[in-house]
Amino acid sequence: MAQKTPEIYSVELSGTEDVGKTDTGDGKEKYRGLKDKRLELKKNHQKEELKKEVDLEDHKLSIKELERKYGTNIVTGLSSTQAAELLARNGPNALTPPKETPEIVKFLKQMVGGFSILLWIGAILCWIAYGIQYFNDKSSSLDSVYLGCVLALVVILTGIFAYYQEAKSTNIMASFSKMIPQQALVIRDSEKKTIPADIRLLSTQGCKVDNSSLTGESEPQSRSCEFTHDNPLETKNIGFYSTTCLEGTATGMVINTGDRTIIGQIASLASGVGHEKTPIAIEIEHFVHIVAGVAVSIGILFFIIAVSMKYYVLDSIIFLIGIIVANVPEGLLATVTVTLSLTAKRMAKKNCLVKNLEAVETLGSTSIICSDKTGTLTQNRMTVAHLWFDNQIFVADTSEDHSNQVFDQSSGTWASLSKIITLCNRAEFRPGQESVPIMKKVVVGDASETALLKFSEVILGDVMEIRKRNRKVAEIPFNSTNKFQLSIHETDDPSDKRFLMVMKGAPERVLEKCSTIMVNGQEQPLDDSTAEAFHTAYMELGGLGERVLGFCHLYLPADKFPETYSFDVDTVNFPTSNLCFVGLLSMIDPPRSTVPDAVTKCRSAGIKVIMVTGDHPITAKAIAKSVGIISANSETVEDIAKRLNIPVEQVSKRDAKAAVVTGMELKDMSPEQLDELLTDYSEIVFARTSPQQKLIIVEGCQRQDAVVAVTGDGVNDSPALKKADIGIAMGIAGSDAAKNAADMVLLDDNFASIVTGVEEGRLIFDNLKKTIAYTLTKNIAELCPFLIYIIAGLPLPIGTITILFIDLGTDIIPSIALAYEKAESDIMNRKPRHKKKDRLVNAPLAIYSYLHIGLMQALGAFVVYFTVYAQEGFRPSALINLRVEWEKDSVNDLEDSYGQEWTQYQRKYLEWTGYTAFFVGIMIQQIADLIIRKTRRNSIFQQGLFRNKVIWVGIASQIIIALILSYGLGSVSALNFTMLRPQYWFVAVPHAILIWVYDEVRKLFIRLYPGSWWDKNMYY
Amino acid sequence: MKCPLTPNSWLNPSRGKRGQPLSSSLILLFYLVFYGFLAALFSFTMWAMLQTLNDEVPKYRDQIPSPGLMVFPKPVTALDYSFRVSDPESYRGYVDDLTKFLKSYDLEEQKNLTACPDGALREQKGPTYTACQFPVVSLKGCSGVEDPEFGYSTGNPCILVKMNRIIGLKPQGKPRINCISKGEKTATLSTYPSNGTIDLKYFPYYGKKLHVRYLQPLVAVQVAFNTTSTGKEVTVECKIDGSPNLRNQDDRDKFLGRVVFKITMHA
Repeated sequence: MAQKTPEIYSVELSGTEDVGKTDTGDGKEKYRGLKDKRLELKKNHQKEELKKEVDLEDHKLSIKELERKYGTNIVTGLSSTQAAELLARNGPNALTPPKETPEIVKFLKQMVGGFSILLWIGAILCWIAYGIQYFNDKSSSLDSVYLGCVLALVVILTGIFAYYQEAKSTNIMASFSKMIPQQALVIRDSEKKTIPADIRLLSTQGCKVDNSSLTGESEPQSRSCEFTHDNPLETKNIGFYSTTCLEGTATGMVINTGDRTIIGQIASLASGVGHEKTPIAIEIEHFVHIVAGVAVSIGILFFIIAVSMKYYVLDSIIFLIGIIVANVPEGLLATVTVTLSLTAKRMAKKNCLVKNLEAVETLGSTSIICSDKTGTLTQNRMTVAHLWFDNQIFVADTSEDHSNQVFDQSSGTWASLSKIITLCNRAEFRPGQESVPIMKKVVVGDASETALLKFSEVILGDVMEIRKRNRKVAEIPFNSTNKFQLSIHETDDPSDKRFLMVMKGAPERVLEKCSTIMVNGQEQPLDDSTAEAFHTAYMELGGLGERVLGFCHLYLPADKFPETYSFDVDTVNFPTSNLCFVGLLSMIDPPRSTVPDAVTKCRSAGIKVIMVTGDHPITAKAIAKSVGIISANSETVEDIAKRLNIPVEQVSKRDAKAAVVTGMELKDMSPEQLDELLTDYSEIVFARTSPQQKLIIVEGCQRQDAVVAVTGDGVNDSPALKKADIGIAMGIAGSDAAKNAADMVLLDDNFASIVTGVEEGRLIFDNLKKTIAYTLTKNIAELCPFLIYIIAGLPLPIGTITILFIDLGTDIIPSIALAYEKAESDIMNRKPRHKKKDRLVNAPLAIYSYLHIGLMQALGAFVVYFTVYAQEGFRPSALINLRVEWEKDSVNDLEDSYGQEWTQYQRKYLEWTGYTAFFVGIMIQQIADLIIRKTRRNSIFQQGLFRNKVIWVGIASQIIIALILSYGLGSVSALNFTMLRPQYWFVAVPHAILIWVYDEVRKLFIRLYPGSWWDKNMYY
Repeated sequence: MKCPLTPNSWLNPSRGKRGQPLSSSLILLFYLVFYGFLAALFSFTMWAMLQTLNDEVPKYRDQIPSPGLMVFPKPVTALDYSFRVSDPESYRGYVDDLTKFLKSYDLEEQKNLTACPDGALREQKGPTYTACQFPVVSLKGCSGVEDPEFGYSTGNPCILVKMNRIIGLKPQGKPRINCISKGEKTATLSTYPSNGTIDLKYFPYYGKKLHVRYLQPLVAVQVAFNTTSTGKEVTVECKIDGSPNLRNQDDRDKFLGRVVFKITMHA
């Protein structure tokens, strides 16, 4: 049964009643399939529910009570009718997949989000205007209908584009989850077996389970029938759905299936946690509000002005549309999406797979990272860290490849110790991995034995060969009562006919069995001083949070144990005392070598790294110290107490920078106390925490206005991953539920990858600022013509369609190019942005773009416009209040400043030339704008004009598009472009240079007088 | 204490005792200076741009290579004249407009103009440029001399057709305004001067400033509705003809070298 996928399992169960005693292939696990009759779980999707420990009482009940509760019998099981009935009521034993938003809803959301509403209003106003026109005059031109259609088309196209971008990034994720098949929960014919449902264990035999898919801790846990803990996750008599049984056998009764299993509850509750809006989404919303506010208020203001200036209401509506179109940066949101997805791609290359595009930036604003220990900070494998023999502690290399084992290997004690390590070990490499580096080979065996095997393989060479030469004749495997492991071998010395007995185990147990100790290869009696030395070393290694093993051996005298002697492990017909103690060896799951550096980077970037682990406080603290989460010179309250030899209560809390808090302590804390803890200590380690407490910690951090990143891999982490501003799941060790809940997946499970992600995220925030500043600037240059047109009655300087060609044509590639800009200074040396104070679009940005550069740009473009009109015969003075006559269709002899007369179409053509001129004026100045936006503080020369090649691609694209529009499409009258004389392209150049000089001056003052009035008002 | 004139002190007003108000007045001052500077700069560039212009002749005339045609009385909205012979009020506007327009063609006004020889372009070298007389009598019944009502009272309304002024334009050949009634022959058209000729002596035009009091040649179209026809409605199309460099056909510009108007006369 355990070999089946969960779905099939349930089907089979409903068909056959007494399948209870099916043996698995290896016979390691037995289940009695008994169907649950649980009351319908109250599916309260409120997150308060999550913070409570999982709701399960069955572990407290006796077997009799269980039988009663589920109406079954533990010997005969359920009747088939009962089983079918239960199946019908409770559904098959499978998790319901998380609900997907329908594609059409996603698409429609894109259609109405952001500026789209404004543009829809513009389009509808166009059609209404045409309707009124048509009502009055059946022959009225279709211009406004076209404009309305163009606007609608713009909305739809940008909507489709954004949708496509989203879908593309979702697809990356989908393809990724396909790589890790959902069915992988069941591993057939291998050593591991997956538990098919939540099971109350009834009988066990040396059963160990790996609850890592649930808790994230891969440490095997033993299972028995006793009720040992109130918390169902801690108690020993429950086996959970989707966890794996590593060894031993157990029989149990199914108490929960499918969504009602613990894992199912967590998964479904996690999907109930509302996803918070990402910081960048809030920023973009804020930005949209600002721009829309400006657009609508200017639009309405000028509508009123126009009406009170006795313009027709219809004309006023047309003005309103023009103002809206000029104000709305139509291409910007698409640009932002592209920018984010470019960064997402860049991050994917660095092993950060971003599921939700907006999370790209969230990582950059992260101010607290709540990190898991196992697998994220550590290598997720036990590794030999220290050795103690000859009264000395030796340090072993714990780096990822173990290459550098420098401790003294000349002593005779080491020779003996290495033999014990090699022989007293049941772990084996899986065959067929000859070409794989030792550290990457797959080993069959538990974590400690694996560590020892690899350690000895690295130092001694082919361990299997050594074992072959020292044939094993008897073995007592490790068990929790003995706490030691023993094996007896022939020696590889053909002249030595003695048997070698080797033993390893808990150091104190091993020492009890010894009467001598080996020092420098010589056996010496074990006296009090050597025992003392042993204890000191044991305590020291234990204090490092390492798991310590003792090793001893005994050569069995050849006279008493001849070659033919038959060892019997049941009767123990050989001595197990008066052995010779050889040494200690300690193991730890060592930190990844890149992590300390990454933690230092986080610290200098102002990001607080908090470790949240289910591990022991001592181990957690040791790892925290070794990776720098607790820095070398900071102490906890307990450390200070120990150093000063005073009780903990007397220590002033202010002296301590670091704190190690256990789950039990956390349980008793009020939210206020937690807040205090989080603010008072800069270095915090949470140990022995339950997964639910992770959620409490995340919420505590969020109360400090922090942007919280949470790493997690277990199913039970998924609520915290969802709750976090950015949930980071582990790509290798992570469960599917965690990956589903997360915003980002670390493909290499490496904490250091988060730091590169942070860097990218910060850069993208800076660069988005630049992009937005760049895009907003020309809005004023597009808006001013309408305002001047209404107030001073000039012929319209720039048409609505032409504006769209800037917003969606020439400006697109340059604004994307800014995403490739390098950081101005070390962005990892400044504090994370405050999510409420450091806005994407702040007042200086808007003011500087609108009222400084934007205005200069408008003036420059007007110069080009006036030049074109003046050189064709209409001097600026003649243009004022010309609008009414200019636009009248019946006036075909409008006199210019030189007495020449113009027909309506000739004027219209001149007007289009004016549009083109204004367009070119803006475009030329946007080149300057693009260059100045490369930096916000540094001089362009510090940044380097040519370092970002994409900028130049952007500039080239601007010029080429403009050339094509003017010279290529100049004859297409619907586009309102004409062929512009070459010299007009240069009229705005002085203004462009002025913009650049002005901005250099601004930056110079900002650099010279940081914190000054100028800095505050001019730095965006 | 630092010298109050160092940039540091004016850049750091917050160090001053008054704090905030100083800062906002500084902002005001800044914008005053900044916008003053921008205004000055804009004025300067505009002034510099105007210096490149010639007072007499616009720099480019490429956008008006060929003149448009325009009619008088000035149409109010569309080119649609409608009046009632029996009701003088219904055509008063037209008559006033024509009278006003022909005011500059008054004999008195033309006294100081040159009587130029017919049939040839009149190129002048300056420095003074003279304008040719336009004998308004050549418009016959449409001159307003004999009939101050321009034929509206008698049911033979006059429409004046004028060619747009373009500096330096030298028509080739023998330009004339050719008017035809479109559709049913409900009316006969007479053009004055005969044949609708536009004399070359009025060209080229040297611009408002040099060519003071220049009078552009006019052609009058007088409509006589057929007594037999029931409908007193006619659509007239006038085109420039006889000159290869004056275009009269453009898909987009309906007034380039041509003009179409409609006259509806009620009894």
